[in-house]
Amino acid sequence: MIEAVRLEEVCRRYPNGAGLHPVSLSIGVGETVAIVGPSGAGKSTLLSLIAGVFPPDTGRVFLHGRLLADLAPGRELARLVGIVHQQFDLVPQLSVHSNVLAGRLGEWGLARSLLSLVVPQDAALAKRALERVGLLDRWNERTSRLSGGEQQRVALARLLVQNPRIILADEPVASLDPARAEDLLALLTGIAAGEGKTLIASLHSVALARRFFNRIVALRAGLVQFDRPAAEVADDDLAEIYALEDHVR
Amino acid sequence: MTGLRSSRSILTILLLAAFGWSLTSVDWREGVLNVQGTPALLEFLAAAVRPVLTPAFLGRAVAALWQTVAYAVAGMTVALLIGAVLGTLASGALAHRRVARFGEVVGARATLGLLRAIHELVWAWLFIAALGLSPITGVLALGVAYGGILGLIFAQHLADAPTAPLRALQAAGARPWQAFLYGRLPLVLPDLVSYALYRFECALRAAAVFSFVGLGGLGAELQLSLRELNYGEVWTLLFLLIALIVAVDWWSGEVRRRMTT
Repeated sequence: MIEAVRLEEVCRRYPNGAGLHPVSLSIGVGETVAIVGPSGAGKSTLLSLIAGVFPPDTGRVFLHGRLLADLAPGRELARLVGIVHQQFDLVPQLSVHSNVLAGRLGEWGLARSLLSLVVPQDAALAKRALERVGLLDRWNERTSRLSGGEQQRVALARLLVQNPRIILADEPVASLDPARAEDLLALLTGIAAGEGKTLIASLHSVALARRFFNRIVALRAGLVQFDRPAAEVADDDLAEIYALEDHVR
Repeated sequence: MTGLRSSRSILTILLLAAFGWSLTSVDWREGVLNVQGTPALLEFLAAAVRPVLTPAFLGRAVAALWQTVAYAVAGMTVALLIGAVLGTLASGALAHRRVARFGEVVGARATLGLLRAIHELVWAWLFIAALGLSPITGVLALGVAYGGILGLIFAQHLADAPTAPLRALQAAGARPWQAFLYGRLPLVLPDLVSYALYRFECALRAAAVFSFVGLGGLGAELQLSLRELNYGEVWTLLFLLIALIVAVDWWSGEVRRRMTT
């Protein structure tokens, strides 16, 4: 197996006791992994550590065999890993195409970035991405006019344009209704399968995790509770997670 | 907390004492209000219903109004240039290295502070001393003083832009100035435009006052009519100024509405 992501005894602690303490994990290229667990179990922390948003307190993170700490922020990191968040984090005042093309900023210089706000650069690439998420007709629209589900798709199109080898999704369906959540996960896993990308998503719903992903990693209080193929996750395991969640609450 | 409260009480007592002491300097025998002024005040108010509307005066008034608008527009243009450049530097959004950012921010903030600390009328006197009485003087005085204020507000808005979209841009590989163009600036642009429009309204009033330091325009006409005690003309000019401010207010409301929907 070629490793896309390798975590070695990675720790990250917060003053309130949350975080990861410690976690080791190996994820192969092309795997689709769902990270499940109750709120505060460390799902977002895990994804942020893989995305290089912040470094671990101790332990090492490798992406495609390279130590994350050695990668230059900007283009080099952007080619390896990209992330979509629950709050899609778009710029609502910009047009849809400018938000999508922001995924190209790592590749562009100043002149091209500036020009693209007036005359979209690499337009074909952005159009393909928007077509893929079914929003090509909203090309010129101001992003703030789109619904939450549509904005989530625009964020996904931006990620497609960025074209990283590892796709991270932090609670990508938390703010969507069930039907749209399924559509988005189908799209996300379809992209990963079609282009041989590694997909790691944190999810609240274990049912969705079982349906759309090959592997499920359950976290509890910053530790790995279980890690096995989705098909082998039994209802008892789920009951355990939910019971724990009730307990935490 | 108690320390703060007691020092506040001390300050209150000191201020009251200063106020009491200031009363001793008033000459109570002469009367505090100018009683002879009352008929003049009534006459002035009565003239409000009889503004002078002769074509000759109206022509002069509109020309003066136009001149004032021109000063305000030119002054705001200079102010926007100064505010955009210094405000961007003072926000610290463009520098990556901590030392460079510190130097940039401190330098830009100090310059903005200097421009802002001096009132536009004082700037006008300084520029008159340097350049003489010319329209450039008024434009520069307005531009420099307002540039200082705009720069400060721009810097604050830019520095307070929401961070989540900016982090997402960085994660996509954007460098600081790219994150500025695709994130910081568009995120706060409606606020910047809104504030600049409000300042434009202030610039119109300031430009009218500039006439008093010897530059033509609405203020010069007002001064002339007041000196001749021609209150009808004064009201015509005031009504024109009010109409202008209302028109600008309506226009800026339209611009804001279009930017936010």
